[in-house]
Amino acid sequence: MAQKHIDGAVIEACQQGDRDAFQLLFETYKDKVFSIAVYSAGGDRAVADDVTQQIFLKLFTAIRQFRGDSEFTTWLYRLVVNACLDERRRRKRWLPWGETAVMANPSEKKPQEQRVDRLEVAAAVQEAIAELKPKFRLPILLKYIDGLSYEEIASVMGCSKGTVASRLNRGHSQLAKRLAHLNNWAA
Amino acid sequence: MFSRHVTKDISAYCQGELPAEASRQFAEHIISCAKCRREFEEIKLGIRLAEQLPLVGAPDSVRTGIEASLGSATERIHVNRWWQARVAAVAAVLLVVGGLGVWWFWGRGFRADLPRASWEVQRLNGAPRIGEKRIGAQGQLGVGEWLETDGNSRAQIAVSSIGRVNIDENTRVRLVETEPTEHRLELARGKLSATIWAPPRLFFVDTPSAVAADLGCAYTLEVKDDGAGVLRVTAGWVALELKDRESMVPAEAACETRPGVGPGTPYFEDAAPSFRSALEIMDFGSDGAAKAGALDVMLSQARSRDTLTLWHLLARVEGNDRARVYDKIATFVPPPDGVTREGVLNLDQGMLDRWKDSLEASWFVNNTIVPKPIAETYWRLKNGVTRRVKTLQ
Repeated sequence: MAQKHIDGAVIEACQQGDRDAFQLLFETYKDKVFSIAVYSAGGDRAVADDVTQQIFLKLFTAIRQFRGDSEFTTWLYRLVVNACLDERRRRKRWLPWGETAVMANPSEKKPQEQRVDRLEVAAAVQEAIAELKPKFRLPILLKYIDGLSYEEIASVMGCSKGTVASRLNRGHSQLAKRLAHLNNWAA
Repeated sequence: MFSRHVTKDISAYCQGELPAEASRQFAEHIISCAKCRREFEEIKLGIRLAEQLPLVGAPDSVRTGIEASLGSATERIHVNRWWQARVAAVAAVLLVVGGLGVWWFWGRGFRADLPRASWEVQRLNGAPRIGEKRIGAQGQLGVGEWLETDGNSRAQIAVSSIGRVNIDENTRVRLVETEPTEHRLELARGKLSATIWAPPRLFFVDTPSAVAADLGCAYTLEVKDDGAGVLRVTAGWVALELKDRESMVPAEAACETRPGVGPGTPYFEDAAPSFRSALEIMDFGSDGAAKAGALDVMLSQARSRDTLTLWHLLARVEGNDRARVYDKIATFVPPPDGVTREGVLNLDQGMLDRWKDSLEASWFVNNTIVPKPIAETYWRLKNGVTRRVKTLQ
């Protein structure tokens, strides 16, 4: 993983209120956390902005409680997953099921024959991921945004490794079905 | 045929999350199970798509929002002198590296599609070329680059860590892709010999008339100037595919391909010459009467082992011809319980697969190895030495 330089010393410095250490932590994780938040919020960047702020504020205030019983990334992503799920629950009270904001760069569905470039594929994947149920979406985000192993994802999600394997399997399968028209691109 | 279905393990297998023994069982099973192979392809597509998920940069408003929430200006997250010095140092290094990069690109002509990954190429004979450059004793074949041999040169490619490919004279190949879930070459013309010891469906060769999908095997693949090709399998299995047409080719068998048609029907190379000539007419002929006559020849000449060819023909002929093929196969190996004539004639995939499982025993009469050597061979090669040493101890 990319954040290998966040070692025990940095965490300890954060626990003692060292602003530079916080800065390093923030810079290391801000894009990953924001990415998970934005995909979880169906592409709504304003919501993702709020959620990311809440996560880091919580991280800064709660990091003293981190005792190193688990990996720091696991602990952090638990915060992220819980915040994303809480936000979704909040929004569900006000929004009809399935209603989500439009992604920043929504893509038009292309006919199979048409050549699709990588950016268009990425946009289509974002849309398809936004349509997955959270239990399938979150493992995919943890896997592809930060490259967590199945065991790490299981620890974050509080489930078994087998459950993670099963959910990723179903998530991949649903992605492939929704984006079957991109098969030629992937071939 | 080989234990339970493995569909629930597909993602874990593709992402290296299965233990070695489970991976071995997975690889063995998927060779023979069309159902699991179909799902394998689907999930592989899902993985490749998910890999395109981009990281979204957090906007500055996240930082400013946090700063505001933290309250007073003195509590703001700031970049201190140490941090500034560090940024300055990194910027200086980037400047130097960037300058060198610009100089380098300028010197060789900038190309946006620089190879992302490469395979090692060893010269075996003569002067093989990668792009316009002749290679010395060794070279690197990058993604998108062509390796070409003339009438006097040959080369060997190390396919990542999963196998090797010998490139014969007068051959032109391109590295299309090399990623954990897929390694792909394009053979435009000439001949290559591949030995792959990876689990199935990691290594592919594109040709003008079909795609060869490795199922853990050794084979030669030849493409002529007109795009026609022939595959000869020496160990394991290879699938030849084009769109919905698929031919499963086991060891000692071969299969022709034609542009615009795709893979023909596989046949054992010890089949009668008249059987093979008739098959060529069936596969690539256009005269209906000639095809009818060819089928007569094939049915009269077929041996038990040729049910490999006849089984593939079931889906490629229609009506009464399909019934005749069914009846001929049934004289050698009757369909197993639960596989009905009606189901087979309606091309029920499950029934076709189960019958194929029964037929396989007759396809390997010359082999002492069971007809699933693909993954087994690989795993035996990989693990056998260790096991043998342990046994001796």
